[in-house]
Amino acid sequence: MSAVVPAAVLVLWELCSRLAIVSPRYFPAPTTVGGVLTDRVAAGDLGAALLVTLTRLAFAFALAAVPAVPLGLLMGIARPVRHVVEPYLAFIFPVPKITLLPFLLIILGVGEPAFVLTGASSAFFQIVISTLAGVQTMDPRLLDVGRNYGAHGLRLFRKVILPAALPAIFTGLRLGLGLALVTLVAVEFIAAKSGLGHLVYRHWQMLSTPEMYAAFALVGALGLVLTRGLHALQARVLTWQEDLGG
Amino acid sequence: MKALGRWLTEHGTTVGSPIALLLSWEWASATGLLRAVFFPRPSTILAHLRDLALDGTLWGHTAPTLARIGWSFSLAAVLGVAIGLAMGLWRRLREGLDPVFAVIYPIPSVLFLPLASFMVPAGEVALVVTSAVTSFFLIAFTTTHGVRQIDRLVVEAAVHYGARGWRLFATVLLPGALPFIFTGLRLGLGFSLIVVVAVEIVSASRGLGALLWLSWQILKVEDMYATFFVIALLGALLSYGLAALRARLLPWVPDVGDPR
Amino acid sequence: MPPRDPKVLVSEVSVTFESHGRSVVALDRISLQAQAGEFLCIVGPSGSGKSTLLRVLAGLVRQSAGEVRIQADHPGTPLTAMVFQEHALLPWRTVRDNVTFGLENRGIGRAEQETRAREMLAMVGLARFARHYPHQLSGGMKQRVGIARALANDPEVLLMDEPLAALDAQTRTIMQEELLRIWATLGKTVVYVTHSLEEALLLGDRVVLLTARPGRVSEVYPVDLGRPRGLEVRASPAYGALLEKIWSRLREEVVRAIADDRGSEEIGA
Repeated sequence: MSAVVPAAVLVLWELCSRLAIVSPRYFPAPTTVGGVLTDRVAAGDLGAALLVTLTRLAFAFALAAVPAVPLGLLMGIARPVRHVVEPYLAFIFPVPKITLLPFLLIILGVGEPAFVLTGASSAFFQIVISTLAGVQTMDPRLLDVGRNYGAHGLRLFRKVILPAALPAIFTGLRLGLGLALVTLVAVEFIAAKSGLGHLVYRHWQMLSTPEMYAAFALVGALGLVLTRGLHALQARVLTWQEDLGG
Repeated sequence: MKALGRWLTEHGTTVGSPIALLLSWEWASATGLLRAVFFPRPSTILAHLRDLALDGTLWGHTAPTLARIGWSFSLAAVLGVAIGLAMGLWRRLREGLDPVFAVIYPIPSVLFLPLASFMVPAGEVALVVTSAVTSFFLIAFTTTHGVRQIDRLVVEAAVHYGARGWRLFATVLLPGALPFIFTGLRLGLGFSLIVVVAVEIVSASRGLGALLWLSWQILKVEDMYATFFVIALLGALLSYGLAALRARLLPWVPDVGDPR
Repeated sequence: MPPRDPKVLVSEVSVTFESHGRSVVALDRISLQAQAGEFLCIVGPSGSGKSTLLRVLAGLVRQSAGEVRIQADHPGTPLTAMVFQEHALLPWRTVRDNVTFGLENRGIGRAEQETRAREMLAMVGLARFARHYPHQLSGGMKQRVGIARALANDPEVLLMDEPLAALDAQTRTIMQEELLRIWATLGKTVVYVTHSLEEALLLGDRVVLLTARPGRVSEVYPVDLGRPRGLEVRASPAYGALLEKIWSRLREEVVRAIADDRGSEEIGA
């Protein structure tokens, strides 16, 4: 991935900031931000915030993926289940999951469970929907092949339906992780007292802009690493899938 | 009438299940099985919703939200489609901008609020600009994909039959990308709603997100549910409404999935 | 020749589909039979239900009326194995694992699976590609894997649903030769559906002609072009005459099928 344009942007920014073409208060030079970044990482607090966010993300993702994949699969193979669950999915899917936060705050109190569950909710719906799509859009002739060659019931599911749906499941997990991160950081920004999102908020309020940008950059880096990493993992595991677009 | 009957038998569970849920919720809340302070009765929620609607509070908060969605979506759509098309057509541009997009896209939109407040006058403009960011990237990304997935053979054939430059764009490239542009717009509109609400929670005094957060802070739970319901309704309207609209107004445009 | 029980017996089979609240008769009282070791070809216009008939034989579709009987001379082997149009290989399995798929499902031991896979892949000329994935193979090769997969199961009857239709003409010709060779070696009973009359006459012992929808048996033609047969038979006068004779009948049905489609367009169906 070419780094020319980002590098050029950074250089431009550095110049404008140093020469006060833009206010260095609001747009500190990248080198300043970089310096603060390294300082804060060395001092440990940026690292601690990162760890907090990552931990929440891990829990949120697990809480979402573990029930979501089986549910999506079940909905795909059993029509009655799909008919029962579909209305709730359709209703909640277009709703901003951040709106669930105040409800969870009341029911579970202000704390980790409410934060994590809100993040999990974004991932949950995405994963269910992608998994369901994976089952529904599989090549139907593969079902014929399965049945003609002696695979029925559970065996048909294990050997044909599940592998056929796997690419879509993977994509759903990948998108879900991204969504969980976005929602979690937003939750931290709004309501938490720790984590990268909160850091951005706090430093914004205190106008300690270099620290704010440092935290911001870390969020961006985290998002990038996760999406690229998962994409690469998907290519590795699903070697038989020739096109991954993206 | 018969059509309605047939539709109901097919979709019996789909309609019945939520109704059953609402009824059991009403009963559970009324009998104290569910704590009313967490889960007030749907009938109470409905009453509060009616009150909010009647005394104008609801509209007073819905209008600003709608306006912000309208502005941010328009901004995102115009810029997104324009730049998406440009990136689809010119490889250099795409290769140059791709890394920038890749870094910025995964960042939650609310985080851009500080940046926006530095760059544009604080207040409404900053809110609208912030809400446009993620939608912009989404729309640009799907538009670019829409252009690039056009069958090379179709383009070659068109060029062979004399379509160049502007004509090629207008008669082949744009129509070919249209299904994806539409999917991008539909997703982008949904995202506009999400970010507008999130941003309202953070820093607005009016708007559905603000109303939700305010109700939480003063612990008026019924108002919270009522507001949630309105937001959900809005979400459904935007999401499914646009899809239905496309089917009606532009029936030749097929519905394609999310290319991510 | 002493009369024997037919290997495949189809008796007054009808298949009706429900679609959007309307009934479509795909097959109407089809009766036909195939002797053991016979290569039976089924031709007909689009919509004549050829593939449906095959799927009834494979047990994938339940007939609405009538009876299907397949003689099971070797207990323990499956009644049918189908070779699908456009291979329908499982993309996440290697070539070898695709070939052993049916064997796994029937609980055949690993050693035996390995032997059969090796044998069948050698027979179709793909021994070197056992570890490859389908997406790494060409269309013709993928189809050969499909054939190997079917043969590995040693079915009583081999069903083939337009297996060569998706291949280019040159690969198709090569594959036709291959099929003749493999069939001559193994002597299986084959029911082969195809669009191409030329192909049916090249490969088959008898050709069953189906009408346009609803599919009925129009006529059954014996193909007396001798065995063993090679591609050169296409130059023989007997072949040409048979082709002309059957084509004039088939042509009528094709024209009818097209007219039906046009008619249903106008009704706005």
